[in-house]
Amino acid sequence: MPRISRIAAWPLLVKVPVLAAGLMITGAAAISQVVFWRFAQDQDSNLQVLTGAYLDGLSAALLPGLIHRDIWELFETLDRSRSRYAGIEPRYAIVALPDDRVLVASDPRRFRLDSTVPGDLLKRFGAEDGLRVDKGTARAWLARTVRYEGFPVGRLFAEIDIAELLQARRQILIALIAVNGCLTLAFALGGYFALKHMLRPLGVLICYVERVRNGRVEPIPEGYHGRIAYEFDQLFDRFNAMARAVSERQTLASQLAEREKHAMLGRLASGMAHEVNNPLGGMLNAIDTIQAHGNDPAVLQTSLDFLKRGLAGIRNVARAALVTYKGGSDTSLLTPGDLDDLPFLIQHETGIRRLHLDWRNHISEPLEVDGPAIRQITLNILLNACAASPVGGLVAVTASCSNETLQITVADEGPGLPENMAALLNPAVSTTGGSQENKGLGLWMTGHLIHRLGGHAEVEYPGVGTRIVVTLPIASKEMLNAAE
Amino acid sequence: MTSSRGKSRRRSGISRRKILCGFTALVAVPALGKNRQESYSFGLSPVFLDNDMTTLSLLQAYLEQQLRRPVELVKRRTQEDIWVMLKSGQLDAAWMCDLSYVQHQDRLALLTVPLYRRRPLYEAYVIVNRASKAKTFDDIRGTVHAFCDPDTTSGYLITCWMLVLQNTTPGRFFRDFFFTYSHRNTIRAVAAGLAESGSVDGYIWDLMKEREPDLVDQTRIVYRSEPLGFPPIVALDTSRNLSNTQKLAASLLAMTSDRLGREILSILAFDGFTMVKPDLYGSTAEKWRIVRTQM
Repeated sequence: MPRISRIAAWPLLVKVPVLAAGLMITGAAAISQVVFWRFAQDQDSNLQVLTGAYLDGLSAALLPGLIHRDIWELFETLDRSRSRYAGIEPRYAIVALPDDRVLVASDPRRFRLDSTVPGDLLKRFGAEDGLRVDKGTARAWLARTVRYEGFPVGRLFAEIDIAELLQARRQILIALIAVNGCLTLAFALGGYFALKHMLRPLGVLICYVERVRNGRVEPIPEGYHGRIAYEFDQLFDRFNAMARAVSERQTLASQLAEREKHAMLGRLASGMAHEVNNPLGGMLNAIDTIQAHGNDPAVLQTSLDFLKRGLAGIRNVARAALVTYKGGSDTSLLTPGDLDDLPFLIQHETGIRRLHLDWRNHISEPLEVDGPAIRQITLNILLNACAASPVGGLVAVTASCSNETLQITVADEGPGLPENMAALLNPAVSTTGGSQENKGLGLWMTGHLIHRLGGHAEVEYPGVGTRIVVTLPIASKEMLNAAE
Repeated sequence: MTSSRGKSRRRSGISRRKILCGFTALVAVPALGKNRQESYSFGLSPVFLDNDMTTLSLLQAYLEQQLRRPVELVKRRTQEDIWVMLKSGQLDAAWMCDLSYVQHQDRLALLTVPLYRRRPLYEAYVIVNRASKAKTFDDIRGTVHAFCDPDTTSGYLITCWMLVLQNTTPGRFFRDFFFTYSHRNTIRAVAAGLAESGSVDGYIWDLMKEREPDLVDQTRIVYRSEPLGFPPIVALDTSRNLSNTQKLAASLLAMTSDRLGREILSILAFDGFTMVKPDLYGSTAEKWRIVRTQM
């Protein structure tokens, strides 16, 4: 199964030509086998006919000599027959008497007169006549009993060299393999390049789909139109329609996010105005007190302390707003203080709803992460938690880090973050954008920030409220720059 | 060989058509009875180098030219065949082996004899295969022997005479023997190893050594006989005085004075023809007598 699944995963560009080549090889092998088999059959049949004609002619020519036991006439007949039979190349021929004694042979030195026919030759035939072939030694042997008026007067044996015949077979086989091999290779290569050309639009489509996965939605250039197959043309049109729709939705979502940001800014601004305005009354009273009783050092000191605390509070709020919306800190670093002034920004939200903020920042040294982005992520989730929490509820924030990750956990006691909203925090897996009701844009923006920084968010429901755990990698400077 | 033959044809001025016609006559006619009104039949014994069709054609052309009538060269397998045809009148004359002449001397007229190496003589050889260890005649005991024809001197009589002198017979002396009915075939049989020894005409062996050295070099001589009378041209004694018979003898004797005749003589390695007395074959006749009485 794993092997099959691997083959199934092969690119079409490879699989189809391999399949075509495989079919070609199978077909060629089958055809070659049939042709070769047929050729061998014909050769065997021809050999039977040729040897039959050889034996018929030779035995007829030998008969008078055999009847008269005329050695010279028999030898002369054998000698003359050597080159008289086309296609037959006898290595030797023996004329034997019925008792298997050699009467004469074409090679008298090897088969002496009156000697016995070699045992292996007799063993090949026994009492039978016919043709025996040994392809291993490229030899064939013939035997024919010569009869006169029905009585055997002698027996003819011959050994034939069939090397040329087998050589012809080998040549045919080699030619078949070479021709079919070349044709198969040519067709396979042709198929490969033709399919590669035909499937090229698929590669283009995959490239653009991959870009969508990375957040870059671009239409396929119109230049391909008319130059590719109808099916791919249709597919490109559909893709471009989808790309345009996604692009428009992203633009819309960005615009809505911007509005949300402004709305949040207005809300924060009004909260900040409230936070600034609150101490202003007391501070004016302190100034009045100083003007009236400034001579009293104790009163003066008390009033000045009051003024100082009030101004310090205003300064904290203003600085937090400035850092958040105007920058000002190093974007490649997150200092513990970058998170610690966030409570000042949401002071108004917590105050109105009388929320208890459990703030635990365990970060003790600067981290090499995008500080402003982390502040924005934490602020957005924190504002969401404050908005979701009931009056007098508890909002707990924990920031901690290990060697490689930064973890920020925000828990509230709200009704629980709906799943479709929670999905916005992971845009890599989410197919939805911001809701049509302009809700969740903050979370959508947060999700994209987390994705850009290479992190992920987990939304947990511990029974009461929601706990969002954001895990972000602490990257080296190079990685950080690459991510941006 | 081929080039010398071609050269011979050019020198003779004999056309190819003429040669072919002669060859056709040689092949087609002999089986039938001769037509005395039209042609002169001349028998050739197998001792002659009968595989050289060009020489035969040249001889036929020469005889036709000299006799001024068609000539048929008749070949048969055995000496006996030739003798039977001659005595039955199917042949006008014949070139016979000296033993055949001796056997039927009382009925034959000795017309003329070739001069080989300036003498009307030749030798009989006993040969073995070049690889054989035999060095003398006695060493061929127990071999398979190839005779030429039982009616030839060199191809049978001399060897039998040698055996009779040793008080034995071919059947006892040799492991086996057979007849090839041609001196050339005897040489081939020994060269191929079919026979381990053979009895052969020395003239034929010497001539073939020049013409087919690859074949003859496969053999080696272990015995040479004394000089013997060369196979003669004969006719029936009854036709000795016929004009055609006289013309035949005269034409052969005159070969040296004719361009075509000289060419034939050159091919056959003869110096010419001569007339001899029957005494030339006395030695052969004596050996024949001994063999006939002892075997």
